[in-house]
Amino acid sequence: MREQRPRPQPGSHEGVILFRVGAFNFAIAAGAVKEIRSMDGVREFAIGGISARVDKLRYTLERGGATYFVVDAARHFQLPASSPSRVLILRNSSTAVLVDSTDRMTDISVLHALPRAFTRDERSWYRGLALVNDEVVPVVNPAAFLNKVEQEIVRQTLERLQGVAVV
Amino acid sequence: MNAERTKSYVLFPMGAKRFALPAEFVEELARPDRLQTFPHRTPLLTGVLVRRGKIVPVCDVAQVLVGADAPPRKFYLIANREATAHQEWTAIPVTGECALASLEPSRPEAGQPPYVTEVLKTGEEKIAVVDLSKLISPEVTR
Repeated sequence: MREQRPRPQPGSHEGVILFRVGAFNFAIAAGAVKEIRSMDGVREFAIGGISARVDKLRYTLERGGATYFVVDAARHFQLPASSPSRVLILRNSSTAVLVDSTDRMTDISVLHALPRAFTRDERSWYRGLALVNDEVVPVVNPAAFLNKVEQEIVRQTLERLQGVAVV
Repeated sequence: MNAERTKSYVLFPMGAKRFALPAEFVEELARPDRLQTFPHRTPLLTGVLVRRGKIVPVCDVAQVLVGADAPPRKFYLIANREATAHQEWTAIPVTGECALASLEPSRPEAGQPPYVTEVLKTGEEKIAVVDLSKLISPEVTR
């Protein structure tokens, strides 16, 4: 039997961006974020019933000729509706995330594994937990904001509607 | 009592009843600490504590053991729990002081929940020994 230990990362630090959704603080790897923007340019959309199938996906953002699908973080984490004011555009992805606010960048030296007692959606939501000024902050898994199944729903719907403009 | 068959248990109160964990699994009894929460979907888990550099999940088993009317929890009993081939500390909020006792276990009667592994008799009182992993398993908490 091995006791659960923080993932060893001797001498390594990871830059993270702290952000807030509702009453909770989260962290995301700084390298996973391409840009932090205001909500300017975020548009509600209702293409082919995507929002009915992927409830957290309600907006798009046109930026630099690319269309980003904007995930409402409050819905993703199944929290009450919050007051979003910032958009995190994820790197190497067509996904962006709507959050209430961003706080600051900081370094974490240890990423604690999510305790195995947590067995549900949170296992995909989080890469692990970090201690930031004695506060336990979940470090999000960027790929989970729009997972492969959800991306496939979007892809199939857009293919079905090929020729219809995304607005 | 047969001295060879007695084992050490930590008896913990949950409202008017007491339950037990094998002492070998118990790490410490902690005073109320800062419970920290973040979004998740696992039933019974109320958050985490930071103890001795570890992040310890807090599992409020009172609602399974005694129902929704359990009195306020006063302490955290921190125990080792087997979690998919790993040992993991888990904090259980309990409603009062715990006691260490050497008692002879007997088999649970038919019809007991699957998380009751043994029964301890002390006077007229019957105390269920619980398996923490089974107690918080999806089969019990769903």
